[in-house]
Order: sequence, then C-alpha cells, then structure tokens
Amino acid sequence: MNNSKSILLLIVSFLLSSAALFAQTDTTQTQEEEDYSIYDDLEFVDESAKRFASVKVSGKSPDKLISVGYDFQGSYDMDADAFGAFEESTQKINSTHGFRFGANIPVISKNNIIIQAGLIYWNYQYEFDQPNTISHPLHQTLNDNGLNTIDAAVTIYKPYNETSFFLARIAAGTSGDYAFGDFQPMKYNRYSVALLWGKKPNDYTQWAVGISRTYRAGELNYLPVIMYNWTSTNRKWGVETLFPARGDVRYNFSPRSMLFAGFDLEGTSFRIGNDNELEQPYNDLEIRRSELRFRLKYERQLIGFIWISAKVGYRYDYSFNVDRVKNGEDFFRGFFGDQEYVMENSLTNPLFFNFSINLVSP
Amino acid sequence: MKKIFLTSLLSILFISISYAQDAAEADRLVGVWEPSHGKAKVKIDKIGEKYYGKIVWLKIPVDPETGEAKVDKNNPDEKLRSTPLRGYRILKDFVYTGKNEWTEGTIYDPENGNTYSCTIKMTDENTLDIRGYIGVSALGRTDVWKRLKMPPKKK
Repeated sequence: MNNSKSILLLIVSFLLSSAALFAQTDTTQTQEEEDYSIYDDLEFVDESAKRFASVKVSGKSPDKLISVGYDFQGSYDMDADAFGAFEESTQKINSTHGFRFGANIPVISKNNIIIQAGLIYWNYQYEFDQPNTISHPLHQTLNDNGLNTIDAAVTIYKPYNETSFFLARIAAGTSGDYAFGDFQPMKYNRYSVALLWGKKPNDYTQWAVGISRTYRAGELNYLPVIMYNWTSTNRKWGVETLFPARGDVRYNFSPRSMLFAGFDLEGTSFRIGNDNELEQPYNDLEIRRSELRFRLKYERQLIGFIWISAKVGYRYDYSFNVDRVKNGEDFFRGFFGDQEYVMENSLTNPLFFNFSINLVSP
Repeated sequence: MKKIFLTSLLSILFISISYAQDAAEADRLVGVWEPSHGKAKVKIDKIGEKYYGKIVWLKIPVDPETGEAKVDKNNPDEKLRSTPLRGYRILKDFVYTGKNEWTEGTIYDPENGNTYSCTIKMTDENTLDIRGYIGVSALGRTDVWKRLKMPPKKK
C-alpha cells in the first residue's frame, strides 16, 4: 500500500511539474524591464558569417506573386500600310482588350541569393467597328485571331556584400496570332536578357545600372537599364524606376495604400501565322508592337495579402510596324539601322484602363 | 508490488530523460539572432512549451519623422500603433516538431504591419531559415538569420 502511495505521489509530482512547464503567457509587448544596451555590440557566433544587401527597400510597393487582370484600350484608328497587292487601309477599332495573368514565384530565397521563376500570359482581342469591310490582311488577322504573348523568365538577385549586388533576368517568350493548342514553332521564340550591377547604400535607396537585350521597343534592341528605387525618410514619397520598362513617382497614403504616376513601356515582336482567310503569301511576318503608357496607378490592400491595382492613362503608339523575319531568324536594326519595314503602320492613341487582383509577397 | 514500482519508476525516468533531451534539442533556438537585413536583433525565449522572439535592438531606434523611439505605427490595429518596437514580440507560438524544425508559429513584419504563417528550420547551430508564407509554404520567402554571441550576464 505504501509503495502504491509512493508511485502515486511520484506521478502526481511529475505531472504537476510538467504542467508548470506547459503553462504560458503571451502578450505582444513584453512586460519585463530590460537593459537593451547589452545587445548593442554583439558579434556573430560564426565568425565567417556575412551580411548581404537585402532586396527590399522600405516603403516600396510589395512584389506580386500572382496577378490576374484585365486590360482595356478605348477606340482608335489603325492605318495599315500598303502591302503587296493590298492598298493602304484604315479601320476603326472600338477596343483592344484582354485577360492578363502573371506569376513570379521565389524558387530559392536566401540572404545570399534569390531566384524567382516568372510566367506571364497576355491576350489582346481587337474589336473592329466594321469587320465586314476589312480588306487588309493585317486587319484581318487581328480581327480573326487577336494576339497572344507568353513569357517565361528567371530572375536572379545575387548580393555579394552588405551594399552591392548583381541582378539578372533571362526570359523566353512566344508571341503571335496563334491559338492555344496550336502554338507556333520554338524557332519563333524571342529571348531577352538584362544584366545589372547595383548598390543599396541604405534601407531607403537602391540603384543599379546595366545592359539589356530587349524587345520592349517592339524589335530586338540593346538598351541601357537603370534601376532606381527610393523612399523618403518619412516614407510618404518614393520613386520606383526600371528604365526603360517603367518609371513611377509614388505617394504612400499608408503601407497598404499607394498612388503612382508614371509610365510603362510594353512591347514585343508578334509573329503573324498563315491561318487567315485571305491566304496571301505573307510568311515570316512579325508585328513590332510597342506602346508607351502614361498613367496613374492606385494599389491597395484589399484583405490580407490580396491587393488590387487599378491603372488609367493614355496609350501612345510607339511602333506597330511589320518586318519580314525569314524562318524566325531575327535581325538587329537598332535606332540607326536602314533595313526597311514591310509595312509602316500607324495607330491613333486612346485612353486605357487596367485592373488586377494580386497576391503579394511576404 | 516491488516489480510494479520498479517498472513505473524506470518508465518515469525514461520519459523524463527523453523529455529533457527533446527539450534541450528544442532549446537550441533560444538566443539572440540577426535577420538578413541587419536592421534588428531578435531574442528568442522559451515561454512554457513555446518559443517567442522579441526585438531587442534596432539599427535606427529613433523614428526620423517624430524624433521619438520607433513604435509599431504600421500595425493595422490602431490601438497597437503606439507600442514601442523595441521589446515587440514578432515571433510567436513556435513549437518544436523535431528534425530541427519549429512550426505552428507566426512572424510579424513591422515594415508593413502584416503577420505571416512561419516555420523555422535550423540548418546549423548558428543559422536559421525563417520562412514566412501565405497559406501554403510555396507562396513565401525565406530569410536567413544568424546567431549572435549572447550578451554577458549581469553581475
């Protein structure tokens, strides 16, 4: 009996001591008074540990992991140049609109390297005012098929000390009047690369310079790239620029609500397939499509990590010319080349809006 | 009876030793750590059976706008916006689940006032992979924290 009592006492005391260990309290702010000055000069335990420039800039808009949106351009005229037996022709387009999807997912996210995989899909539908009067093959294919672009990219951020970093972006895209399930051959893929070197002198400033192989201006070009992200110390104002792709002045109403004024340069080279009704010999044609969008943008947290983004502005046609690119083997004209376009088209400039729902990054 | 007593005592001893070993393994998280941005130092303590981390040092402790000590001004809860950042618990409710991982916790980012689900993985004795995520772990970001030497004990 005595033994049983001892066992019982032992078990009870063990459970009581365990219960005391499990008991807990939690408040956001710790209550105890502490001399925080003891933490001023602490060294890493691992003496080989290094500090690296963080990719984040205080006050900057959050990165978008997943984005689903809709883009709409209002009414404008499209003048298609004479081409073979076809005369120059102008058509009114009531709207150009389409669905936009984007994803940019961190694959590796460490202090000393971040690798992100990205994918975008943008669709353009052309709503002609009088489709029955179309006589030009360019108008015809836009009316029949619209345009699609799919772009896969890898972005690498590589800091190598507390203030300096490299940034690289490599992308492959397929753009044209193809339909899903009937993609164009790989030889028509277009490749872009941007390489930058930069500094982050403090939490509020980050800049980088570099060079890019890009289709932003519609056709292959080699352009300098300038990245500049800055936030004022009161975190109300900022600049977010990746020239020539985009540039913004930002006003932060709060960390969850921001207004931007700036521009986007959107463009790539769209291959025209042969699958239209007119069946004319226009193989290997590509629309060098590029547009500058001057706009206001408002972004705010909707709930949790879901943000909305709304843009409104003026779309300026930079290029809608057409080149013949034999067998998909692209060439470089740059700003000073003298190769002639197959068609020099022109578009008037409408207003546009864009709306998207986004899942933002931690 | 003697046999029962001995068996029970051995079981309790075995459980206690295992418990102590687990606790010691779990307690490796306790210490002072520096996030990758280097703007803060975070002290992780054990409270009950869970682990919590509070900010104990800020690179820039004074808000340049107000000239006062930084407070949690980005908190979505207005009542908490005057809470000092130093001493603020940004890691909460972590439980050791074995294999060098602490889970079921959250991390708070004072930069934007967001709280994320979070897991902590100790990749070596002096390095933590802190992964904040949204819903599923794939939608997140990992930050690597380094252990700092503990400050000298007060005499």
